[in-house]
Amino acid sequence: MSPTSVSAPVPSHPQTAAPTAARLLELEGLYHRWKGPKPPVLDDVSLTLRAGEVTWVGGRNGAGKTTLLRLAAGILLPQRGTVRIGELTPATKGGRYRRQIGFLSAGDRSLQARMRVRQQLDYWARLAYVPRERRAELVEVSLRRFGLEEFAQRRVDRMSMGQRQRIRLAMAFLHEPIVILLDEPRNSLDDDGYEVLAEQIERAVAAGATVLWCSPRGEDRVLTSDTGYTLENGHLERVE
Amino acid sequence: MTQMRLWGDAMWAIVRRDAILFVSYRSQLVAQFLGPLFTITLFYYISHILTDKTIRSPGGYFGFVVIGLVIVQILTVSLGVMPVTVRQELVSGTIERFLVSAHGPVNGILGTMLFPLINAVFSGVLMLVLAALVFGLPLATTALLAIPVSLLGVIAFMPFAFFLVSLVMAFKQAASATQFIVAGIAIIGGLYFPIAVLPGWIRWTSEVQPFTPAADLLRHLLVGAPLAHPALEELIKLVGFTLVLLPAGVLLLRAAIRYGQRTGTVAEY
Repeated sequence: MSPTSVSAPVPSHPQTAAPTAARLLELEGLYHRWKGPKPPVLDDVSLTLRAGEVTWVGGRNGAGKTTLLRLAAGILLPQRGTVRIGELTPATKGGRYRRQIGFLSAGDRSLQARMRVRQQLDYWARLAYVPRERRAELVEVSLRRFGLEEFAQRRVDRMSMGQRQRIRLAMAFLHEPIVILLDEPRNSLDDDGYEVLAEQIERAVAAGATVLWCSPRGEDRVLTSDTGYTLENGHLERVE
Repeated sequence: MTQMRLWGDAMWAIVRRDAILFVSYRSQLVAQFLGPLFTITLFYYISHILTDKTIRSPGGYFGFVVIGLVIVQILTVSLGVMPVTVRQELVSGTIERFLVSAHGPVNGILGTMLFPLINAVFSGVLMLVLAALVFGLPLATTALLAIPVSLLGVIAFMPFAFFLVSLVMAFKQAASATQFIVAGIAIIGGLYFPIAVLPGWIRWTSEVQPFTPAADLLRHLLVGAPLAHPALEELIKLVGFTLVLLPAGVLLLRAAIRYGQRTGTVAEY
């Protein structure tokens, strides 16, 4: 997809997205090449995410959007370049770094199929080191915010794909991260689900978080972005 | 202190998750009971035809082999199940939760090992209880001392699981290595037969791994089998192996995860 084929992003949070807003996540000179005789999927990619902003990265299938998100999340470590939130990097202060990150992968994986929804969220809250005194509260708040209350006692493998997507989104937001990384978050969501997602993104950026949203097409976005890019041939190009 | 509590809470969450998964498949519970029962029944009748003089254990070959079977059970469940569990985590994508959590992938995988270990120890104890109650295996008065020794033994065995899990994290496969290692340990560890019957050229291998001292100590404490070396010497060996192998295993696991994160194989399955 060329940069001109996506709709131009419109600032959605002018009050919080000023150019001087605090830098939260900084990706600098990222290079990643998968095994095999292929060119690098990312080649000298730099991106700064600021507090209170929503950033969108698009691009054709296989362009490297998921790799970029995985590097930002600390799932992958950069072969070259740096990923950091202030002084924290995934390689050197991984635990503290990941505490700042909320991550939603594409697809429907990463759920414990035979756990119930409340158990799933509590499990994640513990892995995310949510303090004991806030854990129950944040689990209940997440159930409510993502419209999961009535399914709280239902096993995950007995839920629809859209409901599972809501659980996965709830986990990305539950521990109140300051950097939220979303890979094709609209997958399987119904209209109500879109609204829920938009509300939660609005709420997070209003509280000073930053959101990086990756999807192949600009139309997939729930919110208009403060900044938009396309990823092509290993390089990011800004969409004006 | 707070950090330790959060770490403990996360570890408990993983154990509870695996327990929920385990009991949700009810046939596993039945298999867990019937498997050990059938195994010791088989060896009880085999022991009737084995009267080799090299076996000096009270209770004859049955008394000797039951302890070996308990250790094999622990090895099979821990070494066999752990790499499979971690592989399933990769395939189902649930390992991603560890990779993006404050708890982190190394702690997450260590946590994943806990339930299989608890389960393995439970299976071993069940086997011993069945051997005593159903087949009349005479337990020694020192049997309770076997509890701390078996826990130490389990910790000493863990680095071997770390090795297999590291293979899974870096290269995705460990099934063939698992079979090879468990079978090899059963031979050189003297689990099914005394190491005295091994050829001289291979007997030295029984001295350079923790399974032989663990088996000897447990036989001594549980059924009163005589020891080839003083108990303290066997215990020091076991502690020594643990102190050397455990940190090495954790470092290997950490390196394998880092390798997977750099090359991208951690995201593959």
